[in-house]
Amino acid sequence: MVTTAVTSAGIASEEPRSDFGRVLAQRERRFAAALLAPAFLALLATTTFPLLFLVYTSAFRMDLAMPFTNGFVGFENYQVLLSDERFWTSLLVSLVYTGSTVTLQVIIGLALALLVMDMKRGQGWFRVIAILPVVLSPAVVGMIWRTFMLAPEFGIVDFLAINAGLGSKNWLGDPTLAMVSVIAIHTWQWTPFAFMVLLASLASLPEDIYEAARLDRASAWQRFRRITLPLLRPAIVMVIIMRTMVALTAFAAIFTVTAGGPGTATEILNLYAYRKSFTELSIGYGSALAVALLIVTIIISGILFAMRRAK
Amino acid sequence: MTAKRLRIIALLAISTVFLLAWAFPILWSVLNSLKTDSDVLAYPPKLVFAPTLEAYRDVLFGSGSILPNLLSSVIISVGTTIVTMLMAVPAAYALARLRFRGKKFAGFYVLATQMLPPVGIIIPYFLVLRNIGWIDTYQGIILIYLSFSLPFAIWLLVSYFEDIPFEMEEAAYLDGASRLKTLWRIIIPQVRGGIAVTIVFVFLNAWNEFLFAVVLSGNTVRPVTVAMFNFVSVEQTLWAKLAAVSVLAMLPVVVLGVVAQKHIVKGLTVGAVKGGGRR
Repeated sequence: MVTTAVTSAGIASEEPRSDFGRVLAQRERRFAAALLAPAFLALLATTTFPLLFLVYTSAFRMDLAMPFTNGFVGFENYQVLLSDERFWTSLLVSLVYTGSTVTLQVIIGLALALLVMDMKRGQGWFRVIAILPVVLSPAVVGMIWRTFMLAPEFGIVDFLAINAGLGSKNWLGDPTLAMVSVIAIHTWQWTPFAFMVLLASLASLPEDIYEAARLDRASAWQRFRRITLPLLRPAIVMVIIMRTMVALTAFAAIFTVTAGGPGTATEILNLYAYRKSFTELSIGYGSALAVALLIVTIIISGILFAMRRAK
Repeated sequence: MTAKRLRIIALLAISTVFLLAWAFPILWSVLNSLKTDSDVLAYPPKLVFAPTLEAYRDVLFGSGSILPNLLSSVIISVGTTIVTMLMAVPAAYALARLRFRGKKFAGFYVLATQMLPPVGIIIPYFLVLRNIGWIDTYQGIILIYLSFSLPFAIWLLVSYFEDIPFEMEEAAYLDGASRLKTLWRIIIPQVRGGIAVTIVFVFLNAWNEFLFAVVLSGNTVRPVTVAMFNFVSVEQTLWAKLAAVSVLAMLPVVVLGVVAQKHIVKGLTVGAVKGGGRR
């Protein structure tokens, strides 16, 4: 209270009345700067600085296991990368992993949201259960699936497979099955997310359009194609963008379940960059891989954001 | 009439299958945590057994107890939450309510910081922290956690700040209150709910984070998500104990998730659309 009185008195005496608005605006700017400073300094230190340093590191040979070979190499890491088969494989694995899990999440999530929307009772159960996978740590989720669900001849999935007459399968040891497994786990964990977001936007659609459509004798499928889907489009695209960003840089669950294996069957680009840097201790090349991942992320998000604006 | 009844039965069947599919892995871990190792390994899987708390007693108080790791998780999560909120609340207020040049850019910057893949951040960060001796320290981990918790918290809070009518602030200024006082006395109480939700999310994300934790943790600071690996090795898996540790790691987030259930969708959409989140 005292400080207020002093400052406003100060302004009144120092500045002519006509400039009062300008002074207020200036004070507002200063206040804003003071409020923003701590957060922006922290963001600079933890995101922008590492990014610049990453690009810098990617121009070096930086091998923690063999420090004597370290030195500036310019674009050499990127040249190596372009002819690195493991890089192209991991990029392909990333795209397959991201594309399939996001597609599954959106389709299953939307189907379930439409189904639950029609339910008179029991919606609450869905809402509570759907929260569970979403709040769990992907590392814990991965561990549970790796052990209690997918372990051969012991996990529940294998138990079901044997009883369904499919026989025991090496779910995480076979390259194709391992890929299917990590996609299934990611889909299991994040479909509820798509479900919740789409259910929320379904609930906000105007009811009277549907009434009118029913009077016009539009079939359920027609109502879905002509009304629900177009109205839901922004929400669906939003879910796709969010889920794609996360799937591209998924780490914990894959790391826990297969660690990228068998071989490099489930090694997404993100995991390759990690392994190169922290397992093989080749930090310079790992940095170049991380920059490549950043570029891929930017390209894909650019395409998705353009999709959002189109139409 | 029969067609309608068939439809209802089909609906019930499908929804039961999905509810089970989502709940089952979690329920199964809880059940396994109450078994002995031989009961866990029984074939066919046992649904009826004599429950025991032995696994919990062992992982909490036995040798190689995970209590220190749970404590690490708590310190990291609470520390991250406090630091994040102290920085995010003022920043979000400024972005939502004040006029200044470069505001659009500032908002875009916060958004863009979330685009960075975490693996790209941790590589350079690891080098720096190694040089200043901050590997295996709380401050090292909490600082890097700001890279994802701050943008997330700021965007979530902005959406709550924007919901307050401007008249409230104007009335306070006219009464002669300073800006800081208006923020503290008038605005903050209005967004208490939003702040609570943000705290829940920041805590959840910090508790669940894994990549940074795995790179930066050591013998002193090792959160439970990383320590969990002690129970699985090439030679043997300590089944019941692993289940017990998983349940302990899940417990805080599940409780928070269910309690904050109603607010979580808003948090997920705002936070994730504008600010990424946990991987």
